[in-house]
Amino acid sequence: MTSPKPELVFDDLPKGRKFTPLRYEITPRLVNAYMDTVGDRNPLYWDQAKAGAAGGLVAPPGLAAIYARLSYLQENTMPSGGVLAGQEFEFLKPVKPGAVLTVQAEVFESYLDPKDRKRVNFLIVARDGQGDRVCVVRLYAIWPK
Amino acid sequence: MTNTFKAGEHLPAIDKDIDQARIAGWAELSGDFNRLHVDPDYAEKTKFGGTIAHGPMSLGFLNELMMSCFGLPWAQGGRLREVRFLAPIRPGDHIVISGQVERVEEDGKAQTLHCRLEIRKDGGETTAVTGLGVVTLGGKES
Repeated sequence: MTSPKPELVFDDLPKGRKFTPLRYEITPRLVNAYMDTVGDRNPLYWDQAKAGAAGGLVAPPGLAAIYARLSYLQENTMPSGGVLAGQEFEFLKPVKPGAVLTVQAEVFESYLDPKDRKRVNFLIVARDGQGDRVCVVRLYAIWPK
Repeated sequence: MTNTFKAGEHLPAIDKDIDQARIAGWAELSGDFNRLHVDPDYAEKTKFGGTIAHGPMSLGFLNELMMSCFGLPWAQGGRLREVRFLAPIRPGDHIVISGQVERVEEDGKAQTLHCRLEIRKDGGETTAVTGLGVVTLGGKES
């Protein structure tokens, strides 16, 4: 029996902490699951004829950020009661189906705000197989404990 | 839509019905199985009184709107900023995702559009999510 993952608590999240990179492939299954779940059926994702003029099929941009949260929770669980206060994306390069992305999270701010709430802000960067940044996510969280 | 945009122009809205199956689908997709999203019995006892959709799924809807309006330029330079989660989106909600061009910056043949985005529910009475989408059109890519 494997022991449960430990909770990731505020004291584990000092500014500058970097997490183990998470690697995944943009598979057809992942693209289809995204289209089904979100309901986003842009032809650029699936219609070779229409996408041809734009340089070929691309993956939904959101797939480059799909594991933003998971990238800092690979070895831990999230304590209950946290709040996602905000999130920002920057899409830098279209992701092609079949691409292998590497996502790494870093704590760029960690502090108690004036109301004594534990604020943890992450910078999460996804890179493609060439090492180019394809997506940058900033995730602003209020940590529960 | 034309290739030239003006401040004040509305983006074609998208609407969706949210149900627990869609929320469960996002949990599978993202690996976020927080019980507040996927366990109705647990969620009923929280301050939310029931399950709520994942915040990042809402951002997927904003991405969909921007991709449908602008296509590839959104995927290679689009920025989603100033996102605020103002009210939870729940199973049973009918949501409308909309946007309006707030400001246009012209630089030669290129246009940078600043679009106010929002997700409303309850027949438009409740704003659930707001954000600012910034996209540059023009040049060889678009």
